[in-house]
Amino acid sequence: MVNLNANVSGVSNAINGFWKPGSVQPMANPDSFGMPKVGGSDAKKADFADAVKAVKDYISKVDDLQGSSDMSIKDLLSGRNEDILSVVSAVAKADMGFKLLVGVRNQLIEAYKQTMNMQL
Amino acid sequence: MEVDNIFSPIDIAISGLQAQGKQMEVISSNVANARTGDAGNGEPYRRLEAAFKSDEDMGGVRVDKILADMSDFLRVFDPGNPHADEEGYIAMPNVNLPVEMMNLNIATRVYQANAAVLKRYQQMVENTLELLR
Repeated sequence: MVNLNANVSGVSNAINGFWKPGSVQPMANPDSFGMPKVGGSDAKKADFADAVKAVKDYISKVDDLQGSSDMSIKDLLSGRNEDILSVVSAVAKADMGFKLLVGVRNQLIEAYKQTMNMQL
Repeated sequence: MEVDNIFSPIDIAISGLQAQGKQMEVISSNVANARTGDAGNGEPYRRLEAAFKSDEDMGGVRVDKILADMSDFLRVFDPGNPHADEEGYIAMPNVNLPVEMMNLNIATRVYQANAAVLKRYQQMVENTLELLR
């Protein structure tokens, strides 16, 4: 019984030591992440149109990624390029970018729908 | 976080895969030439070794140079060979097949590890995007 307790406290000490917040390096600027400041006067308020515009810009980036991914697949299949790993890299990047785009788009559309369905 | 930044783990893992691919190339050359008595320059094939170099801070890895192993050639007693010297010995490449097998295993494991890092990172990003839904 005593032994068990000793073990448990040892484990919890180890966990505390590992997860102690002080052991984590402090971030350079704590304001740069976390909750957005409400009523902050330093930054211009982002409205829905800005968000849509940002998504539009991001779409062209994702399109570039998809284009280079398609290009590398074509090059691989036509024998111009024999490096499969560069194809893997391009496809992984395009996939990741597209998933992020879809996630943000769904969220935006959801926000728009909720706003439109609001009872006046 | 910059958009470009989320891709850097992919680039690093891919660079590891490419470096290990090059290492495989070097090992297969060594194994294929393990009995090559003449490498074109009058002496037997010299074992090659890839030297890796890391890119600048938090970058990937790349093959810096492919160096020749300057250790002595193996001397094999073979008096019937037309290339044998007056004592009946011929020089054979300094390739040691068990060593190459070990290097091949290491290269395979490191390749797998890099592929696992890539896969895990993709899963991490997908998990993060799940939070958006």
